[in-house]
Amino acid sequence: MASAAKRLEAVPGIPAPQIAFDGVTLVLGGKTIIENLSLGVRPGEFLCIVGASGCGKTTALRLAAGLYQPTSGKVNFDGQPMRAPRREIAIVFQDYGKALLPWRTAAGNVSLALEAGGMPSAERPARIEELLRTVGLPGHAGKYPSEMSGGMQQRLQIARCLAQEPKTLLMDEPFGALDAMTRQGLQDEVLSLVAASGATVIFVTHDLDEAIYLGDRVIGLLPHPGRIGIELSVNLPRPRDQLSTREHPEFLRLRRQLFDFVKATEQ
Amino acid sequence: MNRAALLWRVASFAVAAGFIALWQLIANLKLVSPVFLPGPDRAWASLVRGFSSGDLWSKLAGTLEHMAYGWLAASIAGIAIGAIIGSSRTMRTYVAPSLEFLRPLPVSAIIPVAIAMLGLTQAMALFVIAFGAIWPIMLATVHGFGAVEPRLYEVARSLQMSRLAVIFKIALPSASPDILAGMRLSLTVALILSVVCEILAGLDGLGHWVLLSARAFRSADLFAGVILLGITGYVTSVAMSLAEHKLLAWQAAQR
Repeated sequence: MASAAKRLEAVPGIPAPQIAFDGVTLVLGGKTIIENLSLGVRPGEFLCIVGASGCGKTTALRLAAGLYQPTSGKVNFDGQPMRAPRREIAIVFQDYGKALLPWRTAAGNVSLALEAGGMPSAERPARIEELLRTVGLPGHAGKYPSEMSGGMQQRLQIARCLAQEPKTLLMDEPFGALDAMTRQGLQDEVLSLVAASGATVIFVTHDLDEAIYLGDRVIGLLPHPGRIGIELSVNLPRPRDQLSTREHPEFLRLRRQLFDFVKATEQ
Repeated sequence: MNRAALLWRVASFAVAAGFIALWQLIANLKLVSPVFLPGPDRAWASLVRGFSSGDLWSKLAGTLEHMAYGWLAASIAGIAIGAIIGSSRTMRTYVAPSLEFLRPLPVSAIIPVAIAMLGLTQAMALFVIAFGAIWPIMLATVHGFGAVEPRLYEVARSLQMSRLAVIFKIALPSASPDILAGMRLSLTVALILSVVCEILAGLDGLGHWVLLSARAFRSADLFAGVILLGITGYVTSVAMSLAEHKLLAWQAAQR
């Protein structure tokens, strides 16, 4: 308890973490999925979590979302314990096809978040149009998700998340199911959206290049049970660029380090 | 409509016309006594006579009324109860076996019970029709509510939606294809039970008309009633399909 209190104390010069894991352990069905995970995410930080499949990265994200409660330890948001999901934390799921309402149009899907936030119906259309434009879907308001490509559906899900006006955006392998070109385009769009909104991001991916390209910090998890294996600060200039950033010596150095880590965990 | 579809429609009408012609032929040749089997010409004449005298209108209205009230009551109760059972896994586990026991129970078996309790009244008919028609709707709703994509519930949680909003904005629309399919099945059940109740309880309607015509050996009137019941079943089912098509336009987009 003493250490927890100390960790959450405001230190001058260093902003208090927006999301703080403190000795978090999660046991599901008798299996320890995550063990003693401590982690702080600063406001406005872009944190990427990587690791082999089954290392608990999605679980960590669900803990941050409040969809799971830790077996022991604490997850705090803005200094308050997370007991349930909150509207200021938005989640972008990997399976956009399941996370969108198939019976609502693009506009209707964005509207769902606005309705939940209590926005009067007269104000919604303008906001919906603005949000759809932000994610690059102007003119698609009347389409059903099934009439849209995978990339467009994921943009739509991001638009709905932005409609929540989140302080934190949790992204669970959001581009895992998309082709390479769409993926790169969306990476850059997410970076500029996040830069514009100032939201904190936790981004789970198994694509190591993606993690370095996007993040301020990259955490690699070790499996069985999930725990932190490596932590890298990414000091690459922003705005990032698909060509020059990926050719940057620092990028290549981090990439090497991360690949070596993952290779070592696989043995 | 494209050419092939048009051709199919023409063919199906030709088949129907063929059956009517065959019926006329059998009646004309008196293969069956005219006392029991009128030709389509006599049945048609009886229909026209019944409608112009106003008798058939009131009978038809009576049957439609029984059917509609019973079906609507079954729909409202079936969706409500189905939603309560279907939205909770515990409820599904506990209640499902009882439902499975009650479901195959022939509704005709509860008619004597209903008559004993409610007498030969409209209330009895309403109860019996609703009781019979509720099963397809309720079971479809339970299934539909149980099959809602769990991811959508997580979306709802992260949006902190109220329980009521989750039901009306997520569970109900998600279950709507199942529910509407159940309602379509129930429509037929409601028509059958309307006729049965009219026959048993002597309530005003086509069932009663058919029964009286048969007893009086007015075979043309009997057939007129049967034809009208067939048309009623067909038209209500087509109307239901149209409503389904309109309400589930988003599913058409999916295909």
